[in-house]
Amino acid sequence: MDADAVAKAFVEHYYRTFDTNRPALVSLYQDGSMLTFEGQQFLGAAAIAGKLGSLPFAQCHHDINTVDCQPSGPQGGMLVFVSGSLRTGPDEHPLKFSQMFQLLPAGGNFYVQNDMFRLNYG
Amino acid sequence: MALPNQQTVDYPSFKLVIVGDGGTGKTTFVKRHLTGEFEKKYEPTIGVEVHPLDFFTNCGKIRFYCWDTAGQEKFGGLRDGYYIHGQCAIIMFDVTSRLTYKNVPTWHRDLCRVCENIPIVLCGNKVDVKNRQVKAKQVTFHRKKNLQYYEVSAKSNYNFEKPFLYLARKLAGDGNLHFVETPALAPPDVTIDLAAQQQHEAELAAAAAQPLPDDDDDLIE
Repeated sequence: MDADAVAKAFVEHYYRTFDTNRPALVSLYQDGSMLTFEGQQFLGAAAIAGKLGSLPFAQCHHDINTVDCQPSGPQGGMLVFVSGSLRTGPDEHPLKFSQMFQLLPAGGNFYVQNDMFRLNYG
Repeated sequence: MALPNQQTVDYPSFKLVIVGDGGTGKTTFVKRHLTGEFEKKYEPTIGVEVHPLDFFTNCGKIRFYCWDTAGQEKFGGLRDGYYIHGQCAIIMFDVTSRLTYKNVPTWHRDLCRVCENIPIVLCGNKVDVKNRQVKAKQVTFHRKKNLQYYEVSAKSNYNFEKPFLYLARKLAGDGNLHFVETPALAPPDVTIDLAAQQQHEAELAAAAAQPLPDDDDDLIE
C-alpha cells in the first residue's frame, strides 16, 4: 500500500470512529502521544481519550474535504494533514476544521504520535 | 456591530456578545425575539449568527446586535474576533448544571481580556426546571465582579427583557430608562411555577444582604 492510500485509510478510520464510537480512539494513541486541541495540550493516550470523551456533544459528523500526506523521518513515519467540516447536530451550522497527524510505525501498524486540531474561524 | 451584509439603522445600536458553556440555552434565548429571528444573519468565516434585537424605550428605539456562536465553545475558548468591539455582554449558565456555573469565571476572564469595562449581565437559565443544581443563593460570582444577575427561563420567556433593560440603562447612562412596548416574543414552550420562582428571588435578595462567602474561591481557577 502506498503512503497516500495508508493516509486515506487512516483518515477514514479515524473520523468514522470519532463519529460512531469515540472511546475507541484511545487505541490509536500511545503513552508518548500528544494532542493539541484548540490550543490545549494533552500528553498520553489516557489524557487524550479523556479530552475527546469529555467534549460536550453526543453526536458528531465529519465531512472530509482534503487529505495531504508526506513521508516523515527515518523510521518511516507519515505526516497527514486534513481539512473538512463537522456538525454536532442536525440543526447546527457546519464548522470548518483542520487537523494534522504524525503517524509512526509500530509492530506493522501505525499509531498517532502527534495530533493537532483547530476549528477554522474568526 | 452589524455584519457587513446586514442592515444598519439610524438609532443607537450596540454589539452584545453572549458567552457561556455549550447547551446553556444562549441560542434558544436570543431566538425568542421574533423580529430578531427574522433578520438574523450567519457569517460562516467568523462562525457567528448575529440577531438584531430591537427594543422600544421612553427615549426611542435601541438595537442590540446579539452575537451568538455556531457552537465553537464546545471545543474550547472563543477567538478574540468574537469579542472585539463588544459593547455589552451576557454570560449564561444553566441552573441545572453545576459545571456551567463553575465555568462562568473563565468566560468572564476571556471576555474582560478583550472588552474592558463593558456592562455585563450574568443569566442563570432554565429556572423553569424543577431539579435545580445551582440554587439562587449559591450564585455569588456577580457580586464579586459587579455584574447584574438575573434568573431567566428562555423557554417560558421569564425575565426575557430584564438583561436588555439593564444593559440599555447602562449604555444610555440613564437609570430611569424603561421599555414602553413589549417586543414580539415566541409563545412560551413551558410554563414556570411562579410561586416557586418568587421564593427563589426572595432567597436571592436575602443572600445579597449577606457578606460574601470567601470559601468559594475554588470558583476561580
